[in-house]
Amino acid sequence: MAREECKALLDGFNKTTACYHHLVLTVGGSADSQNLRQELQKTRQKAQELAVSTCARLTAVLRDRGLAADERAEFERLWVAFSGCLDLLEADMRRALELGAAFPLHAPRRPLVRTGVAGASSGVAARALSTRSLRLEAEGDFDVADLRELEREVLQVGEMIDNMEMKVNVPRWTVQARQAAGAELLSTVNAGPSSVVSVEERGGGCDPRKALAAILFGAVLLAAVALAVCVAKLS
Amino acid sequence: MAAGPAPPPGRPRAQMPHLRKMERVVVSMQDPDQGVKMRSQRLLVTVIPHAVTGSDVVQWLTQKFCISEEEALHLGAVLVQHGYIYPLRDPRSLVLRPDETPYRFQTPYFWTSTLWPAAELDYAIYLAKKNIRKQGTLADYEKECYDRLHTKISHAWDLVLMQAREQLRAAKQRRKGDRLVIACQEQTYWLVNRPPPGAPSVLEQGPGRGSCAASRVHMTKSTDFYKQEIEYCRRAMGRTRVKSSVCLEAYLSFCGQRGPHDPLVSGCLPSNPWISDDDAYWVMNAPTVAAPTKLRVERWGFSFRELLEDPVGRAHFVDFLGKEFSGENLSFWEACEELRYGAQAQVPTLVDAVYQQFLAPGAARWVNIDSRTMERTLEGLRQPHRYVLDDAQLHIYMALSAHALPTLTLSQGSAFPTWLGPPWPLSCQCSVLSTHRVQRRRTGPDHMLKKGQVSI
Repeated sequence: MAREECKALLDGFNKTTACYHHLVLTVGGSADSQNLRQELQKTRQKAQELAVSTCARLTAVLRDRGLAADERAEFERLWVAFSGCLDLLEADMRRALELGAAFPLHAPRRPLVRTGVAGASSGVAARALSTRSLRLEAEGDFDVADLRELEREVLQVGEMIDNMEMKVNVPRWTVQARQAAGAELLSTVNAGPSSVVSVEERGGGCDPRKALAAILFGAVLLAAVALAVCVAKLS
Repeated sequence: MAAGPAPPPGRPRAQMPHLRKMERVVVSMQDPDQGVKMRSQRLLVTVIPHAVTGSDVVQWLTQKFCISEEEALHLGAVLVQHGYIYPLRDPRSLVLRPDETPYRFQTPYFWTSTLWPAAELDYAIYLAKKNIRKQGTLADYEKECYDRLHTKISHAWDLVLMQAREQLRAAKQRRKGDRLVIACQEQTYWLVNRPPPGAPSVLEQGPGRGSCAASRVHMTKSTDFYKQEIEYCRRAMGRTRVKSSVCLEAYLSFCGQRGPHDPLVSGCLPSNPWISDDDAYWVMNAPTVAAPTKLRVERWGFSFRELLEDPVGRAHFVDFLGKEFSGENLSFWEACEELRYGAQAQVPTLVDAVYQQFLAPGAARWVNIDSRTMERTLEGLRQPHRYVLDDAQLHIYMALSAHALPTLTLSQGSAFPTWLGPPWPLSCQCSVLSTHRVQRRRTGPDHMLKKGQVSI
């Protein structure tokens, strides 16, 4: 069904854009590295692929004149969300271009800002690309070529946005969003199990460390109890 | 960040210079050898590196720029206010404390920038994220902003919530320390760009920025542009100018003369009503008061205009004229003033009345104007307008100030205060009255009386 397909594509695009935004936050900071730049490249390429396919599907549907009114309203809603998301992606890409040019890694003109973020961001990139894990090894001068490509891609996305506006005319003010203000709170209450699951996921993430600590503590406690018993028996 | 509000037409967005300078300072602080000393922040389980103390920052600034500690403190405070460095213990108060309080540097993405202004959509996403994380306990002003944003961009609310959820899920993929740091960074960014009510906004540019001078630069160089430039230069050349040496001399003498009379500069006796809540000063200096103060009478001595503008002074002068001279000159002057500042509809009737009373041959109160001015005035009376009697008025004014006033001061037995001293300096060259014998001496305020402007 076209609606489900579009919705799924939009969700994927939305997820990739959010991950890209999260990665761009750290450019120029202490976590900036060639690996990060490569992750950024892969994420934005995936985002662009999704954008192109979503755009094609939505444009095809909306240019179909024989669409029922309520279906059209639904697709217009998806269209508005998609174009907003694409604007966010374009802005983040421009920002990444500017920051990448200001903080070059290959021949560093100035030191990176020590922001306190030190960990790897491969988890975020893996989430964006919908893979389990991601291991990237970028060369020492990756960012130089990457910047040129990024510039081209920014222009491409800009063109895509212009084409979209030309082909389909959806007035923003007529679209009624489905979710009301404060809906995010209701969904966190409703999705109680999922938040519990996510907590468990997070707990699962540091489980090995906690389990090891618990085991060590238990062992020390047992040893102390055994010693106390021995001492008591002896004396 | 999504595209913010569009820049004013004809002027592309630019980074403000003071922000660029602050960025350079922050980057030079990052130097591994000569930068600020970094420590680690120790939370319960996690250790986050790259924390600096307030005192280290102040010390580094003092050494690097060779400035006093007070100035370094101020500079550091400016950096914190603009969000380039944020405090770790009390994130809502952006002040620099020169002690062991820990601070951290902001990531370049979140640097304050007029090139990339913060957008409403991003603020909505941030508030939605905060709502989810804190289960609805936002600050009051944040709740208001949330509702207002929902009204403004309600069509994009699906996107806002989708992005908020996905961004939170993406953040979960990082380790705890990084997550905390990024959350602090984002909070600082929004504290700077959307300050809570009562906090000063550092991004306020004030009125009048973006003047036309800036917009002119970006016009394409077409023929219209050059025509405009030529016109502008021609007009600039035609403007009357005064040499700055003359201006400044006049300005100095004006200030010296008026200094003791200015209540802000030399204080006002008996007391400043705004401070002491005692309105004796206003009562004593009311426009029509029986006994004018000494300072006020001194002011009459500065120029004829002062005397005429002060109601008490004018009354005195009228009295004097009534006794020694005929008062028709001053009446004529007052009638001309009424014409200049009166209603437009009254102009023809008033001009007629003035003519009948003062200018017609054989009139009741005929004023003595020289023949050339009289001819010109009578010509102009055929098409009466507001300023038709300007020349005549100026002539009479000069006559009064040249003849009546010196006599006033030197006359014996006049009710006028006699301590007024020597005749005051008279107005300077006036090309209209080349035939009139007027004492010529340059003074400040009367220097402005050129070309027929009697008052103002």
